[in-house]
Parts: sequence; structure tokens; C-alpha cells
Amino acid sequence: MALLELDSVTVQFGGLTAVAGVSLSVEPGQVRAIIGPNGAGKTTLFNAITGHAALASGAIRFRDERIDRLAPDVVSAKGVRRTFQNGGLFGELTALENVLAGLHTQVPTGLFGVLCGLPPARAAERAATARARELLELMGIGHLADQPARALSGGQQRMVEIVRALATRPPLLLLDEPAVGLAPAVREQLLGVIRRLVREDVMTVSDRIVVLNNGKVIADGTPADVPRNRHVLEAYLGH
Amino acid sequence: MTPGAAAVSVASSHARDRWVFLLLPLLVLPVPFLVNRYIQYVLNLILVYVLVGVGFNIVIGNLGQLAFANVALFGLGAYASGILVVHAGWPWWTTIIPAGLIGALAGILASLPALRRIRLFYLAIMTMAFGELLRWIYIRAEPLTNGSMGLAVPPPMLLGIRLQSDRSKFYVFLVLVVVMVLLTSRLLRSRFGRAFMAIRDNELAAAAMGIATDRYFVLAFAWSGFVVGVAGSMYTALVGHVTPEAFNLLELILHFAIVMVGGLASLAGSVIGAIVLTTTPELFRSFPGVQELMLSLLIIGVLLFLPRGLVSLLARRWPLFHERYYRE
Repeated sequence: MALLELDSVTVQFGGLTAVAGVSLSVEPGQVRAIIGPNGAGKTTLFNAITGHAALASGAIRFRDERIDRLAPDVVSAKGVRRTFQNGGLFGELTALENVLAGLHTQVPTGLFGVLCGLPPARAAERAATARARELLELMGIGHLADQPARALSGGQQRMVEIVRALATRPPLLLLDEPAVGLAPAVREQLLGVIRRLVREDVMTVSDRIVVLNNGKVIADGTPADVPRNRHVLEAYLGH
Repeated sequence: MTPGAAAVSVASSHARDRWVFLLLPLLVLPVPFLVNRYIQYVLNLILVYVLVGVGFNIVIGNLGQLAFANVALFGLGAYASGILVVHAGWPWWTTIIPAGLIGALAGILASLPALRRIRLFYLAIMTMAFGELLRWIYIRAEPLTNGSMGLAVPPPMLLGIRLQSDRSKFYVFLVLVVVMVLLTSRLLRSRFGRAFMAIRDNELAAAAMGIATDRYFVLAFAWSGFVVGVAGSMYTALVGHVTPEAFNLLELILHFAIVMVGGLASLAGSVIGAIVLTTTPELFRSFPGVQELMLSLLIIGVLLFLPRGLVSLLARRWPLFHERYYRE
């Protein structure tokens, strides 16, 4: 059973077709890279998967269940998490509070318990806070916990965002341009974090790369095959 | 010690220090015996405006929406209390929660445009129009509100006791303010309050965290309406005369200024804003025309130099005033 299945997914904005009949599937434990030139439709594809963009046609299944008509928060609650290309942190909140917000659906407190300050609600909050702190420590950024997100550097923000997306241990994680715009050293550090995640959470890693251009899949193969693909060379070099 | 461990100890000491805030109400307990009746009235007014500011701050500071229905919520709470006392003969204290509920209901009504993805200037003008519409209703619903003459409300009753003096009202108001501020503080420092601020900072990302944004819009507006509705009920008990003119756009500017001068998204800021903005006009009461001038200069001056409000001045000295929205 595929974890995620896209079946001729098409997304249109007015007259523009941003994603044109994309079909692909992701198996559990698989790392999939989606690449393509600027404007190829990568972010729109992510938005379609997470419920942030409506489909014109096609279907998206997560664990054999249709998710393409669901609101983003419902898709997220089912276990699809993502990061954002232009930074999706809550700027005024601290790094710790950002991760806590990532744990939102897993803090079992009701309104009544919170208002009355009941012990179970307090304990749940404290446990979530301890968990969020632990996650930041694990990624080696525990010292940033109490900094407001807007005060962090680009690379630090990217790492906090990944920790936040991972806080609930989601079965599917979508990273939108995780390394773009980072200094080489920071990029290495970030890739280290991602590799560590893959090793910890993923049984078998079979890398595959999907190449998008003009909203269409033009190649789908192993990292060795793809760079030799004629369509890919055309898309990138403009032959 | 690792830097991470240092951060833990600092944060948890803040959580402990917050108990100091619970001592403040105790400190003001003897004050009514030290002041004259006029100052007592001003103190009572401050307590009313503390809740006005606390409620408004939830929507504009924590949820970050340009929704200006606050004066509508305040007026509805005041009228709900007054009408129940005058026409239904309820003792005042039994109208406090109904006034809060009417405020909450109006808050939910004011959140409806926001649920239809109406934001920023559009939401601002629509919610202001809501306030003006209500003023029109207060004037026209004469059988209930006595129109532009205003509704005269007898002195408030509490459990069979008539609260004739402003001193007795002060203690009742103080209890209400402490309870509402405590509940609001608990709400804001829970996952609910974090959801409000997550929506404020990045609505798309909040939804991607599994936060049902619509639900939290309604909750924030409803809680804001409840707090401000209770403030309206206190206002009725304090002045004993509810007129449509009390809920005009100038009043809305005062509410807005309380939040901004005190500090956006800061509970302590709402309290400070209410104290400063209620006291300033009273200080210049004997100089007609100077009142408005001083009030305007105060707002402009503070926001020019302290964009995060007067509370940021305190936070510089005492880290306690940095509000943290999690528990250790």
C-alpha cells in the first residue's frame, strides 16, 4: 500500500494550469525528491497535497483515503506535515512555542480544564513543553528555545520549522525547498539533521527523484538516471 | 551547564514569579479607605476599563485581527444588564453572566465576516459599522432602552445587599476583574492561546499544524465578547445611566488606545493602559479642552517611542513582564 498516491492531479489558477495531471506515489519509508525549475509547480503540488490549494481534477489518497477535499488542518491531523518555502514560523512566538504549536493536536486539554486550571490540563501542558524542549535539544538547537523565531537566522529558522513539522512524528513529511538560500556550512548542518531523521525513522531508504516542469512530471527515476534524462536537460539548460 | 539548561532555569523562575501578580489585588484592598469619593469613582472606572482592554486585546493583540466591534460588545453588555434590571426586575448581580453571554454572542456574530476570509481593512470597517448599527438600535428600541434619553438603572443589588457606595462596588468589581483576568491568562497560556497567536503570525502554517483556524476565530471572539460584556455590566452598575452616546466611535478610540498604549497582546499591558488612559483625562478635568489634547499627546508620544506600549518599559527592568505562553 502506497502511503501517498497522486492520481492525475491538476491545479488551475484562473486560466493558468500550475499542476497538469501529475501522478506519483510515495511508499512508506521512502525519500522522494521533487525538483524542477522556478515556477515548475513544486510548491503548488505541495499545497494541493496539504489542502491549501483546491484540485481542478484528479485525486489524492493518503493511506488509501481521499484527502483532496479536506481542509488543511484535517489533512495535517491525519499525519501530513510540511514546511514552507518562504518560512512558515510564527514570528512573535519563541522557537519552543513554535514547536508547541506543532504539537497542538497532541495536547489533550479541553477548554473547561484550561479555564479551571485543573491538574490534568496543567500536567498535559507541562509534558508538551518538556517534549518540545527535548525535540529542540535532540536537533542540537536547544539553546534557541526561548528566542523569538523572528530573531533567528535563516538556517536556524529552517531547522526550527523542521523540528516543528516533525514534532508529532508524522508518517509523511513534505519539505518545501529546505536548503535554498542557505550558506554551504548551514546547508550541510541542515542536511545532517534530515539524514539523521531518515536514519532514525525510516526502515529502508530508496531515493527517487521526480522532476516537474510546467506542472508536468517529465522524469521519475533514481538519482543516477535523472541527470541523464533528455527532458530534464532541456528543462534546465533550455535546449 | 549547557546553554539549554540555563534557559530552562530562567523560564521556570518566571513561572514562579508570576504569583506576584496575584498579590497586586491584595495590595489595593485598603486603598478605598485612603481616598475620597471622586478618586474612588475613578478607580472603579479603571476596573471597568481593565476588562474592556483585556477583552479587546484578545482579538486585536493575540488573534491579530483588525476587528473593532469592541464598543458594540461593551454597549450590549451594559444594555443587557440595564434592561434585565429595569424591565425584568432581576437583581444586578444575576445579570453579570447574561451580559457576558450576550457579549459572547455578539462577538461570535462579529467573527462571521472573518470566517468568510474577510480581513484587514474590510473587517475593520465592517465591525465598526456593526457598532454604529447597534447605536442606531439603542436609539430606536425605545420601549427597551428609553432611546436617546438613556436608561436609568437603580443601584446594583448583590445577594440582597444594595451596593449604594462606590466603595462597595469597588470590591465587587475587583473580584470580577481578578477572576476574568485569571481565566484569560489561563486561556492564553494554553494550547488555545497559542493557536490564536499562531493564526496571527501565519494563518496558513497554523492550519498546517492541525489548528482548526475557524474554530479558534470563534473562540477568541466569543471569549473577548464575554469579558467585554461583563465590563459592560459593571459599567451599568457604576454609572447607573446607560445612553447610546456612551458607545460612539470616540469611545472605540479610547478602547483601542488602552490596548495600544498598554501593549498589544499583553495582559499586564491592558491593565496599565486602562490605568493611564482613565486617569489622564481626569487629571485635567478642571481645564476644559486640555483633556483631549493631553490624551492625544499621550497616545502619540507613547507609541512613537514605545511601539510595544508602556509594558515594554517595565519588561526592560523586570523580565517578569515578558509574557511567556507556556508552562514549565
